[in-house]
Amino acid sequence: MSAEAEGGGHSVALAPEHVLEIGEFAVSNTVTATLFVSLIILVFALLVRHRAGVIPTRMQVLFESLFVFFLDKLEEGLGEARARKLVPLIVTLFLFIVVSNQFVLIPLVGSIMTPEGPFFRTPTTDYSATIALAVSVVVLSHVLALFVSPLGHIGNYLRIGGFIEILRGKRPLGELLTVFIEFFLGLLEIIGDLGKIVSLATRLFGNIFAGEAVIIIISGLLFVSQFFIPIPFIVLASFAGLIQAFVFSLLTILFISNNMVHASHR
Amino acid sequence: MDAETMKLLAAAIAMGLGVAGPAIGEGMIGAKTMEAVSRNPEMSGKMFTNMIIGMAFVESLAIYCFVIALILLFVA
Repeated sequence: MSAEAEGGGHSVALAPEHVLEIGEFAVSNTVTATLFVSLIILVFALLVRHRAGVIPTRMQVLFESLFVFFLDKLEEGLGEARARKLVPLIVTLFLFIVVSNQFVLIPLVGSIMTPEGPFFRTPTTDYSATIALAVSVVVLSHVLALFVSPLGHIGNYLRIGGFIEILRGKRPLGELLTVFIEFFLGLLEIIGDLGKIVSLATRLFGNIFAGEAVIIIISGLLFVSQFFIPIPFIVLASFAGLIQAFVFSLLTILFISNNMVHASHR
Repeated sequence: MDAETMKLLAAAIAMGLGVAGPAIGEGMIGAKTMEAVSRNPEMSGKMFTNMIIGMAFVESLAIYCFVIALILLFVA
């Protein structure tokens, strides 16, 4: 369509390009970038771990304050024992999303070209990647809640407890309408949970993709506009990437602690 | 007007109108947080994270409009 703006060899496209074929699988450039991001995080983790000690280095202070920030947020809802088990997951999610959102800032890597397109592309501009993250997070929150109290968690969605209370005579028959409304509100929660997946995935994808699209369109406007004019937009996009990583991990904490606390209340 | 023109117009309208509501909402969240922080500055750290989460929920509405615009431009 007409919305293709050329700037620095890139163009605005929703779907990632398939750059490799391993056997039957077509590997897209976001997948290679995801592996590259994982490699970066691994190397960083080993470096920080190697230099860590009782007298903290600068990097160690940075990562420890990050760790403590998420630990505090988890402890508010879950208590210390569970928070300590969950905090590695949250920090890993945060680090992965932060590094992938700032992928454009890594020099030279984005310029490796193949006949199909660039070899690396920001992982979070692929809708599949963000949907995968969102699905795994929401499913995990349900699995954890099922471990806490299986009947309590299912009872939050299929609210048949009111019917049983009426049958046993603990509640008057006149409350039948209220019980019916409660039951259907429980069914609505299921739709709300599907909405959680959609909104988590779309929020991350939309913010990062919009940032990149704006940069590409601005630098493709005129010949001169590709030199200094995109800089404020790049700053804005990388700030939004940081904020979105925070939002994703905070919402993960919110979903997990909400589900676990609600399951154990019934 | 042919279908292509209508698609471009629809994408522009979806973005423009769809962003107006969330913009008002985010402005109110920011204003109220500033008010609350000025009343009780010790709570500013907690308020900030709550503000970010609230803004994220409001912002997702605008992002839906953005996705609709993308679908109109690229997919449909």
